[in-house]
Amino acid sequence: MIGLLLRCYPAAWRARYADEFTALLEQRPLGPFDVADVLLGAVDAHLHLRGHGAASEHRKGFAMSLRIGGYAAIAGGMLWFVSIAVGSAMSSGGGDSSIWFLAFAAASVLLLVALVGLSAFQARRNPRLVWAAFAIPAGGAIIATLGVFGMLTVGDAPFIGLASPWNVWIIGLMAMILGSSLFGIATVRTGSLSRAGAILLVLGAFAVLPALGGMTGAIANPQLGIIFTAMPFLAFAGGWIWLGASALRFGSPTTTLQGAM
Amino acid sequence: MEPRIPELGRFAEPALLILVSLSDEPKHGYAIMADVEAGTGRPLGPGTLYAALARLEERGLIEALMPVERRRPYRLTAIGASVLADQLRELADFADLGLSRLGRAQP
Repeated sequence: MIGLLLRCYPAAWRARYADEFTALLEQRPLGPFDVADVLLGAVDAHLHLRGHGAASEHRKGFAMSLRIGGYAAIAGGMLWFVSIAVGSAMSSGGGDSSIWFLAFAAASVLLLVALVGLSAFQARRNPRLVWAAFAIPAGGAIIATLGVFGMLTVGDAPFIGLASPWNVWIIGLMAMILGSSLFGIATVRTGSLSRAGAILLVLGAFAVLPALGGMTGAIANPQLGIIFTAMPFLAFAGGWIWLGASALRFGSPTTTLQGAM
Repeated sequence: MEPRIPELGRFAEPALLILVSLSDEPKHGYAIMADVEAGTGRPLGPGTLYAALARLEERGLIEALMPVERRRPYRLTAIGASVLADQLRELADFADLGLSRLGRAQP
């Protein structure tokens, strides 16, 4: 019942008040008056957000953060998938894939920008989760970039200890993907941005292990390997793009809530 | 220029009740509802409470504190205290005027 009532409120409102409002509603049995009052409150929240004209500096900064994060998520998600797909294909075909690995490094930076920009909603509610969601992919991006640098300089020779640049890149990639899944979980928990996009991101991240099996040749059938590789990576990139698009919708002047963070 | 409670439209009365409730100490939503109901004898619905809280917070009349077990307390800001005092003085003057007129009218 409480969950249904909460769903009547705008996402921006829920991001700010859902926890405390739920705690309040749980403290006593809901009567007809309460339900009617909550429903009217939901209508008011929708109208109030729509007619909210006077933007404070805080609100502008928040909207800007969402916009930058949204654009970075869309561009990063697209570039990330394209760079991995084309880079891997060219690499396995014996072509020069260095430009695509550099594009992957740029995509990693874009996704880190997206993580920072879009984490405004989660920061207060799940600070540890959000910090982990930033620190793990950030470390992963550095490691993966090192791997790219190694591939461009030493090729297949041992790079860090006995690990080849390819292995270093894969480790960084895994950290990025798994760390991003934490961000997706935080997004689902707060109910901010698009839950569907966040779930897609998490599912893509958890399906990445068989995908990496496909990339490393552990799956014998090449066609199956391509499918196992492409689907989770596509889901992962698609999740980022979806979240980015929802952030842009959210950050538009007509829907942003002052103090939503 | 300080915001005024009447600018809150139909939430002016709930907003005033909330400010009065917060005038002695910070309270979370449920405590505000209980306090208002005890003080006025009328329930303050949860939807109305949070609609008014959002408006008061936007205008800087109250501020949210760190949540304790999901319940977030609110406290009156300095501006909120000033606006509340002005409003209560105006109401007191208005009440005095009404009572004096009633006194003159009564036989």
